[in-house]
Amino acid sequence: MAEEIKEGEYRQELFERLKKSISLKKEEECFGVCIKPALWWIIDRPHPKEIDLERAIYPNCPHLKKSRSSRRKRCLGDLASAVKNATSTKAVAKFECGEGLHGFVYPIFQGEKLYGYIGACYAKREISPSILNIFAAFTDTIIKEIQKELELSKLYETIRPRAIALSTVHTVHRLISSTLDLNELLPRIARLSLQIMRANRCSIKLVDSTRRVLLPKVTIDLRKKTTKLKKVRVGRYAPGKAVKFGRPIRGANYISVPLIDEDVIGVVTLYDKIDTKPFSAFDQEIMATLAEQAVIAIKNAQLYKEQEKLTMGSIRSLATILDSRAPGTFVPRASFLKIVIAMGQELRMDNGELKSLEYAALLHDAGQIALPDEVLSKPDKLTGAEYDMVKAHPAHSVEIIRHMKALKTVIPIILYHHENYDGSGYPKHLKKEQIPLGARIMAIIDAFEAMITKRPYREPKSIDAAIEEIRHNAGTQFDPKIVDLFLKVMKRRDIRQTLERELYEKNR
Amino acid sequence: MKKIDDLAKSDIHMKILAFFHENQASIDTPRGVATWIREDRAKVKRALEDLVSLKVLVAHRATSTTGYGYTSSNTIISKVGRLLGKRKTS
Repeated sequence: MAEEIKEGEYRQELFERLKKSISLKKEEECFGVCIKPALWWIIDRPHPKEIDLERAIYPNCPHLKKSRSSRRKRCLGDLASAVKNATSTKAVAKFECGEGLHGFVYPIFQGEKLYGYIGACYAKREISPSILNIFAAFTDTIIKEIQKELELSKLYETIRPRAIALSTVHTVHRLISSTLDLNELLPRIARLSLQIMRANRCSIKLVDSTRRVLLPKVTIDLRKKTTKLKKVRVGRYAPGKAVKFGRPIRGANYISVPLIDEDVIGVVTLYDKIDTKPFSAFDQEIMATLAEQAVIAIKNAQLYKEQEKLTMGSIRSLATILDSRAPGTFVPRASFLKIVIAMGQELRMDNGELKSLEYAALLHDAGQIALPDEVLSKPDKLTGAEYDMVKAHPAHSVEIIRHMKALKTVIPIILYHHENYDGSGYPKHLKKEQIPLGARIMAIIDAFEAMITKRPYREPKSIDAAIEEIRHNAGTQFDPKIVDLFLKVMKRRDIRQTLERELYEKNR
Repeated sequence: MKKIDDLAKSDIHMKILAFFHENQASIDTPRGVATWIREDRAKVKRALEDLVSLKVLVAHRATSTTGYGYTSSNTIISKVGRLLGKRKTS
């Protein structure tokens, strides 16, 4: 039945194009000169009845219009036998109508399939076989051209949806592989899954380390503003079963697809299609493709996170070693990290920039390891030579970290964190915006740290006194805009409380 | 452009709507959409953002690119369907 419909559509399209064909019109004009005055007609069905022939010819044939029905019938009978002849011989067939006029019928075949006829009549002279042969050859070429066009457009119709689907897969791949932050990645995968599957709710759960429970990571419901995150035991409900059996589980209004790397690492579940139709096998296939891409992106993000943890661990260890060189001094590292991150967030820095600030906060004085103990713990004023040694510590810090690729972006922050806004700092006497933004932030943090912690040569200042000193030096030592930012951050109760707790409880 | 009905005045907006209405599960970049509807990429990009502001399209933004998909709102989908239907018959 479907084949018949397709066949019918094909025939209709073929004749529509044939009737509009400029080449055919030109051919008719050309042959019209030879066999004038000719009347052209097209019949868009095989084995036509007389009534079809009459319909095709009657409106344009002056004889038929004025003929009595008996003469008209005879004329149509002549035409019908020519059609029959053309069909059986698969070649152009000549005829002479009852009015003594001449014509021919050309059958339109594709292989063994007959589609219809092109014909001409009302010629006063008999049409020569050579003209008919040329006509047949030309017409054949025109029809083959149209048939090729049709095949191409059919092919385009088949390929286009697949090409669009492929482009979607490619776009999704680009979107999910452009982040290594799991907190950003998982909601993105959920939203893209909803978009592609045209569903209302998506939930992503990851398998925990015991492999017994699925930890909910993200749930997005387009119908609700808030959603609950629920743990699920492996083996229970659709997500649990998908993980347990390592294959998609599909119901009318849900589909759970496992995220499989070497082992199952999680599951994506979609619920309720927006058109309320059930999830299909095609949906399952699409979702499986998306899950394959998602699992690569998730694994990459997890590896990156591990790598970051390792880097952070090494940096913290290094910072601890450095702190141990001045045993009487306690540095409230956690608070400083919090302050520096808060300042970076206020400046809308991205994750990479925030990480650089964090690393710089831990390592900005790493170069002090090169200072002799007597300089580091000298209670009196430093001599010129000793001060020169101190001034070299940013360069020493850079020397220590420059082999770590992950810290490449930290180098300018550390190298220039002793530059002053008015150009009076060191090592390069940079001014204002010449000083990298991170270094302008770190300058304040370093000075604040120096003031509120105990040093061999003086007692610590109070937090408020240190803040006041920072404010006082805005525009000279520090960038006034960054000072404003620092003051804003220091007004935050959580930050102030963390700092006080860390600083005073440790010193108590 | 403030209303969905106003979109009928713009050929490029209507072409984009027709593309997404026909391929509702599709997500594509401005370059991709421009290829499918055979229009200039810069013009398509502007039109896509117009459609996002009208909530007809959803933008999935990442640092490297933005993917655009069709709305999930059945109300908007029917409205667009009617608009495209009118255009076909006129």
